[in-house]
Amino acid sequence: MTEPGREDTIAVIDDDSAMRLSCKKILSKVGYRVETFEDGAQGLEGVAGLRPALVLVDLKMPGISGMEVIGRVHGIDPQIIVVVITGYATVDTAVEALKRGAYDFLPKPFSPDELRLIVKRGLERRRLTLESLHHEVERALLQRRFVTFVSHQLQTPLVAIHQYLDVMRRLGDRQDARAQQQEWLERCLKRIEEMQALIRDWLTLAKVEGGRLASQQAKVDLQPIVAEALQRHQEVAARQGVSLQAHPSEKACYVRGDSTSLSVLLDNLLANAIKYNKPGGSVSVSTEVEEGQIVVAVKDTGVGIRERHRPFLFDDFFRIPSGEGEKAAGTGLGLPICKKIVAEMGGSIDVESEVNVGSTFRVSLPPYRERAGEGGSRESPK
Amino acid sequence: MAETATVLVIDDDRDFNTSVRAFLESQGYTVIEATSGHEGLAKLAERKPDAIILDIMMESLTEGYSVSAAIKHQPAYKDCRNIPIVMVSSIQKSPDERFPFSGDVGMIRPDRYLTKPIDFTKLLEILKTVVVR
Repeated sequence: MTEPGREDTIAVIDDDSAMRLSCKKILSKVGYRVETFEDGAQGLEGVAGLRPALVLVDLKMPGISGMEVIGRVHGIDPQIIVVVITGYATVDTAVEALKRGAYDFLPKPFSPDELRLIVKRGLERRRLTLESLHHEVERALLQRRFVTFVSHQLQTPLVAIHQYLDVMRRLGDRQDARAQQQEWLERCLKRIEEMQALIRDWLTLAKVEGGRLASQQAKVDLQPIVAEALQRHQEVAARQGVSLQAHPSEKACYVRGDSTSLSVLLDNLLANAIKYNKPGGSVSVSTEVEEGQIVVAVKDTGVGIRERHRPFLFDDFFRIPSGEGEKAAGTGLGLPICKKIVAEMGGSIDVESEVNVGSTFRVSLPPYRERAGEGGSRESPK
Repeated sequence: MAETATVLVIDDDRDFNTSVRAFLESQGYTVIEATSGHEGLAKLAERKPDAIILDIMMESLTEGYSVSAAIKHQPAYKDCRNIPIVMVSSIQKSPDERFPFSGDVGMIRPDRYLTKPIDFTKLLEILKTVVVR
């Protein structure tokens, strides 16, 4: 991922001071950070230091030409978008610039709107390119991890089911085996459910990592999502003798993200808080604005988590060993999913816990803010 | 009463152990189960089995090898050193016949290795050759 600050930075390289000034004025007004340079040499030095998201460069300059600047900017960082400004807009020069890697060209004279539009489009292209690069890296990592764990996580239940069925086939008509068959079938069904849960969670994780779940950048109020999640868990909690309490904030808690991933996040935290609770225990969920962050805390009165296990809680497939060789139900992917969703939204998650007293999972998310170049009448890209 | 052969099954998956027990008991064996290497070694000290079925990947990827090494080399288990061990794992042998995660190929006898899900007929054949009843 790129640093967020850099995505707003634009470098303008033009020997015409009036042009530099007006570009800076037009673009600063809509929230971009603009640095200007009066020739190619200074411009390239500036680009190397600044690493802007986009460079506007005049083709006709003394010294290093605009044409040459295009290639050299990409030598510094191939992901920087270059838009050329042409005073003599012939098809030939434009084509030459595009061949050399420019994203687009802007013939002089141009209106402020034309400039803003081309910059916006260029940055959108950059965002998409970076995103797909990011996905490629993630996908490679995911692939490797999947290969490592698939045998243990998916094969273990399959082996159990296969062997139960094989035993039943071999001993089917024996009187002594018949009594146990019902029990073995129950175990088979249980193991199948376990696999289904694992596949479901694994797909959710893959979606979050592929940016498909948490990437929607809408303005979302957290409060109704928390309320709905509590509603969904009411029945399970009641069955376990656990009471659910909500402590909503009086202020609206808007974050940037999408409601589906936030629901997944809360469902996972609530399910854990109920599962690892004690009969007669409680789970309380509070939402508040703390030091400029939106904080959701899920507090349970459960068994707690030993300190030595806490560093591994958010690792894929980590299960707390329970000593007896008995494995707790669950896939070991719930908290990794939570961590990734929160990270995608620019937030953080941490846990406080005391053995036999309970655990509190706290999610901090940055509050919703309008972004540069994102007006009220924002159009979504097709 | 004729004495039956005893097999110790060490695997962290209870269902694996249960199915092996069900099959072997139907074939006249007595089965002891353990769900970790540690528990397996403890059971070994209680009662000496005639054969051991040992999973490779348990708490760690190579726990089975550690258990096997302990039995073969630690003085505490010197009476058990010669008990035949059948290794099992859901991981296939690699094309060059190397066993999963084994730096030391000598730790497994190829004729005493089964891929999961295990073929009960093959297991029986192995047990018949290694256990002298």
